[in-house]
Amino acid sequence: MDKSKSPLKVALHGMEDRTAKTMVMYLQGPCRGAAVVVSDSEADVDIFDADVAGVSNLMEAHRAKKPHRPVIALSLRDGELAHVFYVKKPVKTDDMLAALNKALAFSGEIKHNETKSAQLSVNADSIQPVIEKPESTHLKSFVIDNDERKKTAKHQAAMQLNEKGFNAFIGNVTGLDVNDPSQFAVANYNPKDYFQGYVESAFKISREQGEIMQLNSGWSPVIIFPHNNEIWLDADDKQLRSFSGLIIANTLDGKISTTAITFESSSLSRSLDKFHSMDAFLWKVACWASKGRYPIAIDVTQPVYLKSWPNFTRLLITPHALRISALLIRGPRTLANVAEVLNIKPQYVFVFISAAYALGLTGQARRESDALIAQSSEIKANKNKGFLSRIMSKLRG
Amino acid sequence: MSQYKIIFTGPVGAGKTTAINSISDLPPIKTDAAASDMTKSKKSATTVAMDYGVMNLPGGEKLHLYGTPGQERFDFMWDILVTGGIGLVLLLDNTRADPFVDMKFFLDAFDKFIGDTAVAVGVTQMDVSAKPTIEDYQVQLGGMGLKLPVFAVDARVRNDVSILIQSLLYSLDPGLEE
Repeated sequence: MDKSKSPLKVALHGMEDRTAKTMVMYLQGPCRGAAVVVSDSEADVDIFDADVAGVSNLMEAHRAKKPHRPVIALSLRDGELAHVFYVKKPVKTDDMLAALNKALAFSGEIKHNETKSAQLSVNADSIQPVIEKPESTHLKSFVIDNDERKKTAKHQAAMQLNEKGFNAFIGNVTGLDVNDPSQFAVANYNPKDYFQGYVESAFKISREQGEIMQLNSGWSPVIIFPHNNEIWLDADDKQLRSFSGLIIANTLDGKISTTAITFESSSLSRSLDKFHSMDAFLWKVACWASKGRYPIAIDVTQPVYLKSWPNFTRLLITPHALRISALLIRGPRTLANVAEVLNIKPQYVFVFISAAYALGLTGQARRESDALIAQSSEIKANKNKGFLSRIMSKLRG
Repeated sequence: MSQYKIIFTGPVGAGKTTAINSISDLPPIKTDAAASDMTKSKKSATTVAMDYGVMNLPGGEKLHLYGTPGQERFDFMWDILVTGGIGLVLLLDNTRADPFVDMKFFLDAFDKFIGDTAVAVGVTQMDVSAKPTIEDYQVQLGGMGLKLPVFAVDARVRNDVSILIQSLLYSLDPGLEE
């Protein structure tokens, strides 16, 4: 089908809502928008499910009403009716595209003949234009990739870490106690020393240029798909965690590069379960680079703010991350103050800020007024606190 | 003993019934009926009165979970439903024609209740329609002067619904301990 042409307008018949919705998505996804579902009055082609009860009558009635409109029938059996293009179930994309092409050609032929007849007609009264008011359609135009739902890693529910598993999972820096206030000033890290810095840089280039990029690091390459906000990496979390925790700026710097790759090479068959969202990937990489420290760009003595809640259901949830978000979304605070108010170890605040900062969700409050506002070390408890705590306990059970 | 409840709201087909089912300790009581009118294009049955589920808590307490009817013509019931509610879960279907209009409608409709409590927003069907993105929702909310938890949610997955409710509870009181 010629993609430069507008899509064929089709009307669906004999399909219940779920099937109709699937067809809308199928035509726009696997069939690459070759046809679009519209109301009956606007359609050039009718598509029937030929296996539902009463479809014969429905089809007959339609053909009587629109005798020249091509019909495609989706059927379990071979078809017999003349001028009906049959697509055998289970429907294959090639078969459907072929049927749409035939219907298009048939429709063009009919229109051509009709024009010819009209030109030959001497009786203008015999031509009665039928003006039909298009029915409004509530179908949203979206393109679905049929493989999207198979990208299980991309859509999987969040892992919620508790304090017990934190140190083993996130790691720590030998000789540094990030929870000791006297060491706060040095409890930071530079993302540029780690894989995180290279990932951030590659994401930025890829997004700015709108091109599919490959981050080469001497390790498994990361393929970046900026339009879908996803990456592909052939490595598990354990391997990624190890690599993300290494200082690589001095050892691998010359070997790390970002190169544009063609759509064809990026479209090679790839395991769908190895696609991840860019945000979820960078969030994890930042957590593992942080090891409980905060990014060097943050001044630990000044308040930080949170622009918006992270999309927690698709991110690694570090201990107390939801509480920290709920507090910071109310207004800027220093990291130490957050830890004090929530009565938690500073490392949990630091690791959260590292991940949120990597995604651009947090920043340093620069207004003088923010620094001047007295940051209370207490927050007003909800009147139902006891009950809410019991719900929380049940949910986290 | 006090009766506490969380209200689930959102347009037809956004997953309210499913979300309640995901976290309820009892099979939820549904009041679905065969859909007619405009709801028929979204699902064959729709909730005409309300959904109800319950979470049993330690000490014999219960958290009641109520789902509002999605059809706007039943909005007279919403005021009754929210009485005694501790917060609102708003579910939005990302495949709808304009989910931002839906969001604004429900936030306006429950404006007073939200002002007294809190709200968390779950966006369903993001694996079918990836746009608008969560960031787009945040931008819209920012324009309304709101900073709410907005998460991608699969209403069938307990963990997703649980995290959404946790964010609601922490919005009410960040001091709650894990």
